[in-house]
Amino acid sequence: MEYKLELIDVCKSYGNKKVLNNLNLKVASGEFLVVLGPSGTGKSTLLRTIVGIEDIDSGRIIVNGEDVTKKPPNKRDISMVFQNYALYPNMNVFKNIAFPLKMAGVPRDKIKEKVENVARLLKIDSELNNSVTRLSGGQKQRVAIARALVRDPQLFLLDEPLSNIDARVRYTSRQELKRLQKELNYTFVYVTHDQAEASNIADRVAVLHNGIIEQIGTYEELYNRPVNTWVGDFIGNFPMNFIDGSELGYNEKIIGFRPTWVNEESNGIEVEVSLIDIEESNYFIHCTYKDKNIVFQSKNKYNVGDKIKIGLKKFNVYENGILKDVINEEAIS
Amino acid sequence: MKSKNIGTYIIAIILSIVFIYPLYVLVLITFEPTYLTFDRLYPYQIPVVFTLSNLEVSFKNLSLVYPVIRSTEVAFIVAFLALMLSIPAGYGLEKLTARLSNRIIILMFIVNMMPALVIAIPISVYFIKLGLENTVIGIALAQELVVLPISVFIMLGGFRSLPSDIENQALVDGATLKSAFIRILLPLIRVPALVTFLIAWMTSWDEFTYAVIISPVKPTFPVDLYDYVSRGEPFVASSFALIVTIPVIIVTVVLQKYLKGEYLSGGLGGV
Repeated sequence: MEYKLELIDVCKSYGNKKVLNNLNLKVASGEFLVVLGPSGTGKSTLLRTIVGIEDIDSGRIIVNGEDVTKKPPNKRDISMVFQNYALYPNMNVFKNIAFPLKMAGVPRDKIKEKVENVARLLKIDSELNNSVTRLSGGQKQRVAIARALVRDPQLFLLDEPLSNIDARVRYTSRQELKRLQKELNYTFVYVTHDQAEASNIADRVAVLHNGIIEQIGTYEELYNRPVNTWVGDFIGNFPMNFIDGSELGYNEKIIGFRPTWVNEESNGIEVEVSLIDIEESNYFIHCTYKDKNIVFQSKNKYNVGDKIKIGLKKFNVYENGILKDVINEEAIS
Repeated sequence: MKSKNIGTYIIAIILSIVFIYPLYVLVLITFEPTYLTFDRLYPYQIPVVFTLSNLEVSFKNLSLVYPVIRSTEVAFIVAFLALMLSIPAGYGLEKLTARLSNRIIILMFIVNMMPALVIAIPISVYFIKLGLENTVIGIALAQELVVLPISVFIMLGGFRSLPSDIENQALVDGATLKSAFIRILLPLIRVPALVTFLIAWMTSWDEFTYAVIISPVKPTFPVDLYDYVSRGEPFVASSFALIVTIPVIIVTVVLQKYLKGEYLSGGLGGV
């Protein structure tokens, strides 16, 4: 397997606070990797160390087989789109996109051709002579992406590029970004805190927490088999439900299940309904079971205070917070 | 709401009168014959006669021309030096944490908190040893002390007002530190740089204490002006003062749209 990016035991701290703690990560060529994590867990720091605007304390960064740990950002051949786009306000759209080529010493006629090509690709060719300060949020984001794409680097880093755009535009931008990445076969490392975004565009998702990658895999893997209770709690619109396993034959262990893994027909544990959420055509029933809150998805609208019995179609077993077993049979009914 | 506006206007008018009245008196003295101004116990407050004879007398006395030239030289040296020092200083301070850089700025302003005489006299002793006494460079270096803290403060504000990550983006896009600075940062800080230049220039233009102590033999314009007043030739002084004030007023009016508060707040606005 050929890796575009390898991080080996990367450490980075600000004062006493360890932001990246022996972090290891491998990104395959042509892969769309999304780094997902709650805010303040060092997602941006991770990108900044990869691109080289922040030094790391120890470890190695390898891009396309070459150790770039000691190299300055302009020698790493990595493009980055910053969260606020960081467009050069003193230049028009054309000059913004042309800047990386100009710095690389590309001849003038070649620059014009390349900029026009990438502008057409991102549908901003009509804006080339406009000032960047007059563009809409979506257009600014396109210019920033065009500027990153124009010089054909080894690796693309994107720091929450869609967070400043309205919800509807964000959805289409997401799809376009994904299409572009697949068409041009580029390697993307994309940072976000938005799970919908991650599940939508990622080939693989890396969950970053407390300076380490807790789990890396497809979104389905993360959803179905979170390696520990923290990931289970973090991934999903509703956190994974966790109940004490002792009464169900799993002493000293914790049972975790998703809202969709509940079987209402069976005669399992008794729960009391406390709140009802409506989302599109489904009801999400919040209920209490032995002082624990659990949520499950249902077609039935129960009333608050109802006592119902539910079983589980499948569940995960956790011991000391770590995934031990995945039970797929009708285990509790 | 309306009455609030009227109140604001009244305050603005009173303030304007306070600031403009001295200038108005200057105009009166320059263009009125002396028997209506200096020779009266209660000078006329409105122009009655118009004369250019005061100006004629002043311009026949050419000795004020050299101080004006000297002042101009000093002011330009002070302003350029302020830019050369405050741009790198502002750039560097912006890299520090806001807490640390604010403290350093406060430290710099300590020079301005002390009476100028306390600093000027010991400096003049060294300047005599170094041969800088009575030279344009000597005055400029001493006046730089007054100008530098505010210059650095303004440039720090300028660098803080830049979009975050813009320099990092330039580095990622393949620029070296030098080319990122020249191509991206310098064009973006041209307005605060202009403000710094103007303030440094104008401060030097009417600075008195350092000038009179460092260069008593070859005085700058404000020092020479004071000599005229004390020698009892105020109308010569006032007419010259007016002529010399006009370019400063014109420059300020033309550039006033840049002289907005945001650059004078040192990037502290909203903190």
